[in-house]
Amino acid sequence: MNRTNGVNVGVDQRPAMSVVVIVYNDEARLPTAVRSVLEQTLRSVEVVIVDDHSTDGSYETARRLAAEHPDRVRAYRLPENSGGCGAPRNHGIRETRGEYVLFLDSDDVLERNACRNMLEAAETTGADLVSGLCVRVHVDTRTRKEVKWYPWLYARTRTLDSISELPDLLVYDTLSTNKCYRRDFLVEGGLEFPVGIHYEDLFFSAQAYAAARRITLIPNRVYDWNVTESAAAKSISNRRAEIANFAHRMEIHRRVDRLLADRDMGALKFHKDVKFLKHDLVLHLRDLPFRDAAYRQEFAALARAYLTSIDPAAYDEVEPIHAICAYLLRESDWANLLPAVDTLTNRDKVSAPLVERDGRIYWCDAGHLTDPFARRILDVTELGYHSRSVEKLFLRNELTEYRQEDGGGVVRLAGRVTNPLGVIPPAARLTAELEFYARRPGVRFRTFRVPVPEVRHGGAYVNWQATANVSKTLRPLGIVDAVWDVRLHLDVDGKRTTSRLTAAEPDLATGELPVRPRLTRLVADRVAPQISARGHLAFRLVPDKKANVLVTRGLRGTPGRLAKSGYRKAKALRKRATSGDTKIRLYHEVFLRMPVHKRLVVFESHLGRQYSDSPRAIYEEMRRQGLDFEAVWSYSGKPDGFPSDATLVRRWSLPYLRALARAEFWIDNQSYPLKLTKRPGTAYLQTWHGSALKRMGFDEPGWKLKSRAEQAEQQRTLDRFDHFLIRSEHDVHTLAKAFRLSEKTLLRVGYPRNDELVQARGATERPPLAAELGIPANKKILLYAPTFRHHGQRRFSLPFDVERFAETFGDEYVLLVRAHYLNHVVLPPSVRGRVIDVSAHHDVTPVLALADALITDYSSVMFDYALLDRPMLFFTYDYEEYVHEGRGTYFDLLERAPGPVVRTEDELHALLTASTLEEQSVKYASARERFVADFGEYDKGTAARRIVDEFFSEWRRK
Amino acid sequence: MTGGQRDIQRDIFLVSNSVDEMGGVTSWSHHMARLFTERGHRVHVIGITTPEDPHDLGELPYPTARLYDGQPPAPGRARDASMRDRATRLTRLFAAARPGGVVIVTQVWAMEWVRLADTTGLTVIGMSHESYETSKASSRFRRVLKHYRDVDRMLVLTREDADRWITEGLDNTSFIPNAVPWLPDTPSPRTEKSVISIGRLSDEKGVDMLLDTWSELAPRHPDWTLKIYGSGEDEELLRKQCTALGLDASVRWMGRTSDVPGALRGGSVFALSSRGEGFPLALMEAMAMAVPCAAFDCAPGVHEIIADGENGLLARPGNTGELACKLDQLMSDKGLRDRMGETARENIRRYGAEEIVDRWEALFTFLER
Repeated sequence: MNRTNGVNVGVDQRPAMSVVVIVYNDEARLPTAVRSVLEQTLRSVEVVIVDDHSTDGSYETARRLAAEHPDRVRAYRLPENSGGCGAPRNHGIRETRGEYVLFLDSDDVLERNACRNMLEAAETTGADLVSGLCVRVHVDTRTRKEVKWYPWLYARTRTLDSISELPDLLVYDTLSTNKCYRRDFLVEGGLEFPVGIHYEDLFFSAQAYAAARRITLIPNRVYDWNVTESAAAKSISNRRAEIANFAHRMEIHRRVDRLLADRDMGALKFHKDVKFLKHDLVLHLRDLPFRDAAYRQEFAALARAYLTSIDPAAYDEVEPIHAICAYLLRESDWANLLPAVDTLTNRDKVSAPLVERDGRIYWCDAGHLTDPFARRILDVTELGYHSRSVEKLFLRNELTEYRQEDGGGVVRLAGRVTNPLGVIPPAARLTAELEFYARRPGVRFRTFRVPVPEVRHGGAYVNWQATANVSKTLRPLGIVDAVWDVRLHLDVDGKRTTSRLTAAEPDLATGELPVRPRLTRLVADRVAPQISARGHLAFRLVPDKKANVLVTRGLRGTPGRLAKSGYRKAKALRKRATSGDTKIRLYHEVFLRMPVHKRLVVFESHLGRQYSDSPRAIYEEMRRQGLDFEAVWSYSGKPDGFPSDATLVRRWSLPYLRALARAEFWIDNQSYPLKLTKRPGTAYLQTWHGSALKRMGFDEPGWKLKSRAEQAEQQRTLDRFDHFLIRSEHDVHTLAKAFRLSEKTLLRVGYPRNDELVQARGATERPPLAAELGIPANKKILLYAPTFRHHGQRRFSLPFDVERFAETFGDEYVLLVRAHYLNHVVLPPSVRGRVIDVSAHHDVTPVLALADALITDYSSVMFDYALLDRPMLFFTYDYEEYVHEGRGTYFDLLERAPGPVVRTEDELHALLTASTLEEQSVKYASARERFVADFGEYDKGTAARRIVDEFFSEWRRK
Repeated sequence: MTGGQRDIQRDIFLVSNSVDEMGGVTSWSHHMARLFTERGHRVHVIGITTPEDPHDLGELPYPTARLYDGQPPAPGRARDASMRDRATRLTRLFAAARPGGVVIVTQVWAMEWVRLADTTGLTVIGMSHESYETSKASSRFRRVLKHYRDVDRMLVLTREDADRWITEGLDNTSFIPNAVPWLPDTPSPRTEKSVISIGRLSDEKGVDMLLDTWSELAPRHPDWTLKIYGSGEDEELLRKQCTALGLDASVRWMGRTSDVPGALRGGSVFALSSRGEGFPLALMEAMAMAVPCAAFDCAPGVHEIIADGENGLLARPGNTGELACKLDQLMSDKGLRDRMGETARENIRRYGAEEIVDRWEALFTFLER
């Protein structure tokens, strides 16, 4: 290919590109960097090497390279060392002759096509600046791990006429090296790197972005940033350097802010502020638990000075914990800041006792809550901590004491577990134990337990104390178990919450302890406490014996490599053995060949998520009639709430697959795993889970778009259905047609789950569920049951102000909220007793039967609830988006809704204020009747019984 | 790179799977060969195989060559040996090129032979004539990544497709769209109440979805017909579907046509209901004839050609309800048809032969810098 007949860059011919390569004491790697330029697919490139007055042979190497390629490489040397990247790059710019300029560091390399791609982009769009993807290559790792640098900025080619179109570019990609600059743009604009200060790239890139009249981004990889992990321990002098660096960083930030203000780009500062809170500051905050008081003070002083310039509105754009940390740092509230940093590092951890004020939950009080700004920042109601029980909480457990008794192997440990909102009641029965376990992911766990004799409730904290004989307890297997982690199990009235031990102060845990390894003491016979990057206490074998040097050499050498690769292979093998493919093969080749197990029925509802719906109703009818059969219920997650008189199997487990392979009946409302074929001896009763408003199956665009082969594959899974339940002819025209089911599979008996609703129609007494939920008899019950919505990363939130609702209607109504089972809702404590989350109930039917009226949008519960002949309200705040931008509907809900349709929260309030439920009921009586006739004509309240008669009458005990 | 200036005269080799089959890529090769020849370049069109029933190419202003009289041996040792043998023939052809010669490999399968040949001193360009998504779903995806890794430029049809390949690691990727095959002097009169579809009757072209779409439209527009041009393996299935949907009265099966302008003169609206596309020629032809289009937006090439609401209408792929809605708009509104048809005819000129050949020549020059 075209590599050899290149047109050399003559002395008098201007090259297209100049690459400025800067070097300081890096003679070994410089030639590689330069070679990556000379071997570019674009040949019209020159190299300008600038040596920052190295003390090794870098300059000589540079001169040798220049001599080897006299037309393409030139070498320069600064008269004295500048200590940074700015001065050599500035010098380099002056020496370039190309139309475009790039920067390359001596330890990095350019991608082969980088110059060609950047030149093409620059000449096509006329941009002053072209920027491409940078990749950080971790050269020390076994696989040379690669991490793309802010890849979302480089997902596609795009051209900006101003950086204001994409503030994130300025805010995140602050490198100067993955870019190419029109030389005249740099020279005429006087763009230079600042000298004598770190983070010169931040300023230079901001300056270039702000000045460029056009910027083009290309998705091409252009620059490999080679990263070597420095294992150097952080010494005191490093700490000094760290503070100095931070001071430089703050100064650069101030200079960039000034630059933006001068250029009338003040709006960009806001985006910078947001990134400062969620990124720059976090990097340093995470180190705080490991630093002493003097460092913390110096750091805080520097950060506070800059934080005053941050726009308060920026706090609303970051995660709550980012805002909380920044605020507490600003206020110098160290007692609350350090726990908050723990949550910053361990996101799922609750590290503060939390307080409840006026029905909201706050991170802490400490006098802050009089300030409205602080209230906004510290309000963590939305995180839903208050609705989690103690076993679902990961609590901060602060280590307050670590003492080695008499220099021996016995350690005294004490600590306190945070008790947020009193989730651990004062009268609770408390027991605890410490657990030491070897950090060996994927292999057999080795654990040792130590009792914790003293556990005391202390209000906001639970205090504990224990003495651990580490020497006797920890028995590592030679050098294999090098690190041991520690955790505390705290049992609160039998419910277990597990926490890690957090050292809030540096140097709290020190000293070495003797241990007796099981295999050999040649390697190590002592352990020392250490604090993990997440701040948790662990113990590490101290490897300083002579013999250990040999062993270590073994580990790093060939024997070790072989042992490690063997271990990896074993792990891969185990993963394969338990993979889905293996299971599917087992199902077909072993289980399906076993005989059918007569009278075995496997039930499943919503992929095992619930014990609910028609499969449940059929199951309960079969039990009620005392049929002689064997029941298996499938569950995913936890088996809580599933029936105790059935065999419970976890979905996708081997017992599950065996049961399915051998069952006489499958009864399910959604789908058993698609890859499992059904033998002819098994009958599949598909109850389905709701009539359709939205297009389904082969009426959906996604299904239509599949190729013929894929459609046939899909059809095979649907053809497993032997019987399909139908509620009305609407189902026949929609679901049955969309699944291409044959007429003989259709069972026009209605839904068993709805038998209860038909029977509850006209009932005057409230079901017992009302009392269980604590609903007073004088209040009407409204149920809000919206359909599923995709929210991406964001949490599902109610489309109305629930506090305002409770405030307005709380005296008259209790509002039940039932989120779709894939969505999760959080209610503030202020609405307690007036608004109740019933999403966790397995079955929606009893909740429907309880509600005096339903508020929904497009959920299929509308078809079921209509059977009760009670008022229905349709709150369709996003109708256009949902109906038209989605996959389309079978009919226009707005035309046929058997109740009033409201589009806004205010309309909803107005409706509930203007008329009573009784008036609503009367007004829409005939519409409801029509609705039931259209969508539920076969729901007669006898579905479960008819199904038993049809399929299971033989199983009645005689 | 800037177009416009006349390029030097080059030897250009267009290498495809075959030089004499009916497919889109082969027609493209001959179209480009003609255009390059008109600019004074010396063009050679090379095919790897010779189909059993070769298409008659007629008199050509450039030479053609075939590496095999029939098919190469089945993959394995015999294929490998024969590939090396036939590659030497390519080497001989390439060696005759003057400096500045270019090899354009239009299909990745052909690249397996070209990579064994000596291309020293030549610029090698590899092409993928389909959308990234279509490649991704086929075995060609891995082969493109492997065989085109070291070519001087890998070309796809749109910026969007190029970006996807680049993100996949093919950093030498760029793009040039296809040229519109002809720009007729007389557009369609748009008088006949017909919706036109032209394409092979195969699964990929989605005529089944067009029939679903039509079943929503036919009752509302009893005076309109749907004319389906083309033949193919799915014809019987599709005719059955048509009958089952009760559409026999309003659908006409026109068979294959060699007179595309004539077909387009017999209609007022064009429908494209494909599952996958590259840079659809049929769409460009309809627009050149000033027939407004409604199409599934199934590939970057489609929304590159059609600006939704300006010179045509787009529906989300597979959403037959939406496609019906878009066709309905055009069928119900003569003013809209005329406006969009004329805009389409004007807009499609940006893919005129002159413009596209300029871009190619500029690329040849750029790759020598």
